[in-house]
Parts: sequence; structure tokens; C-alpha cells
Amino acid sequence: MDAGTMKMLAVGLVAGLGFLGPGLALGLIGFSAMQALGRNPEARGPILTNMILIGALAEAIGIYALIVAIILALVAS
Amino acid sequence: MFIIVVVLFLAGFIAGPIGSRLLGMEPPSFLSIAKPHVVLPSEPIFKVSTFFTVTNTLIASWLSIILLVCLFYFCTRKMRLIPGRLQGFAEVIVELLLNFMKGAAGEKNTRVLFPVVATIFLYVLTNAYLALLPFFGTIGFSEVHGDKHIFIPILRAANTDVNVPLSIAVVAFVFIEYWGLRALGFAHYLNGFFNFGQLRDGFSSLVKGKIRSAISGLMLGFINIFVGALEIFSHFIRIVSFTFRLFGNMTAGEILLVVVCFLVPFIAAIPFYGLELLIGFIQALIFAGLTLVFGTIALTPHAEE
Repeated sequence: MDAGTMKMLAVGLVAGLGFLGPGLALGLIGFSAMQALGRNPEARGPILTNMILIGALAEAIGIYALIVAIILALVAS
Repeated sequence: MFIIVVVLFLAGFIAGPIGSRLLGMEPPSFLSIAKPHVVLPSEPIFKVSTFFTVTNTLIASWLSIILLVCLFYFCTRKMRLIPGRLQGFAEVIVELLLNFMKGAAGEKNTRVLFPVVATIFLYVLTNAYLALLPFFGTIGFSEVHGDKHIFIPILRAANTDVNVPLSIAVVAFVFIEYWGLRALGFAHYLNGFFNFGQLRDGFSSLVKGKIRSAISGLMLGFINIFVGALEIFSHFIRIVSFTFRLFGNMTAGEILLVVVCFLVPFIAAIPFYGLELLIGFIQALIFAGLTLVFGTIALTPHAEE
């Protein structure tokens, strides 16, 4: 395999595998938020605020994988 | 009305790059766009001196600063008890931010934290929303590098330059440490990081001959030192995570918009613009909210055991 093919393979693997974890994490966050909302619908404000806060923290990990993929695809030779 | 939208979308799909690749024909001349060429570092516009170059993202951040300062200057001239429209607008923004902060940090901490957190929120939000205007990234000039013509826009989204999120993250870090030091006192705050007291107690009881308390004291002492080092590391790693969260979201959004506008020229970019609006708002909220949360943690005194 030449370098160009290897680079394409690397970019695809980084992006694909890097998004598995954050996807699972966000699903779990949503699941627990829905459960909490179902138990206690009056606490809607704090539950939603905290859900968005932690969701962005988990999303950031996926963004790191995306940055690595973008740098590999565009900047590496 | 709906039929016009559908027709435009289908025309863009078929005659654009996707359709012409599927059907094997050339796109018509008025629809052929060059493939988008994304450059990650921001392009310099001119050099002020040998050390300081003005890039297009710097000009965009200046524009957002001027916009915010002018807006709030005109809102707070001639303030009255019953506000007019501009003052009412500013009061709505301030009150929304205050309510958000009071919900997360409590009344006393909000007074201390409000200036920095509200500035971070408004600055990141203005940077993100200015980038969605039509004249950002499209007005510029062509330059010749070697044998290629590169298009350099005069204004580019300020959050897509790594330096802007890095600067905001460093400011947030400095302020969080300043609040912690001011609230807890210099020695007490640093004591949370370098926690040798437990180890010293362990050694002293070893010397005195109490073996059991010495062993537990020594083990707890080592664990305390490790936890302290981990605390320092996590404080510094916040800078990196703040920077790359904002930079990654904004750059990914910009690349997404460019690629979608290239693939299907006409209607398909509208949902992605909506996504960009939402992501810009959420990222500003996250940046300010995380600064708020870490500031609150720094301001609360340690629970006495």
C-alpha cells in the first residue's frame, strides 16, 4: 500500500472509531436525563441544564477525534 | 411556494456535483464551483511589523468587539427607571444571564463571577453568529502562490482560529485561579494541591512507635500527594479542553457549511445553517457555564472534615 492509501485509511479509522465512544456517552446521558425527568417532572429546569452541560463535555471528546482526522486529511503529506 | 423550494432543491441536486457525477454529465457553467479548499491556519492580510501580522480572523474579532461595545454603549446612555427599547433589550440580556448564573452558582457567587462569565458568553456568541452572515468568507482578494491562485477572504469566522479560543481559555484559567486564591487565601489554596500534612503525621507516628496509625497515615499521605498532583494537572488541562472544544466545533461547522453548499448548491444548506445557529449558542453557553462551574468550585471553601 502506498502512502496515499494509508493516509485515507488512517483518516477513516480515526474518524469512525473516534465517534463510537462519544455517541455511546451522549446516549447514556440522554437516557439518564429522561429517567430523571420521568421520575420528577417538576425538576425540568436543572435536569435539562445539567444534561446540556455534560452533553457538551462528552461531545468535546468526539471533537478531538474530528480534529485529528481533519489535520491528517488536510495538512499531512 | 413549497413547489418552488422542491424544484430548486431538485435542480441543485441534479445539476450540482452529486447529480452530474451520478448521471455522467458536466455541470452547467453557471453552477460549476471549484472544489472547496479548506485551509486551517488563518490567512494573513498584512504585516504591521516583522513580528505582528494581522490575519482575517483578527479583523473579524475586532469587528465583534466593536459591535458589542457600540451596542452596549448606546443601550446604556441616558438610563431611565422605566427603560426605553434599547435599554430594555440590554436589560433582557443581562437578566437572562443573571438568572442562568444564579441557578448554577447561587446569589453570592454570581456577584463575583458575572463580569467575566457574561463577557465570555457574549464574545463567543457574537463571534459565532457573525460568521453566518453572507459577506463573511466571501469578500476578499486573490493571491498567486507559486502557480496556484488562492482566494483569501478579508473576514473569516473568529472562532476558527486556534488563537481566539486559546486566549479566552487562558483568561478563564487566570480568573479561576485568581478567584480561588482570593477566596481561600494563598497558603490555604496551595495547600489543596501540595498536601504533605498527612504524610508528615504518618512519619511522626512512625517515629513515635505507633505502627498502625503510622501505616495508615503513610498510605493516606501518599494518596493525598497523588491526588494533589492530579488536581494541578486537571487545572491545566482545562485550558487545552476549552480551546479544542470551541475550535473543533466551530471549524467543523465551517467545513460542513462549505462542503454542503458545494454539494447541493441551493436549498440543502438551510438545515445546516439552523444547526450552526444552535451549535454556536450551545458552545457559548458551555464555555461560559464551565467557567462558572469551575469558578464556583474555586470559590466554595473546602468542607472541614
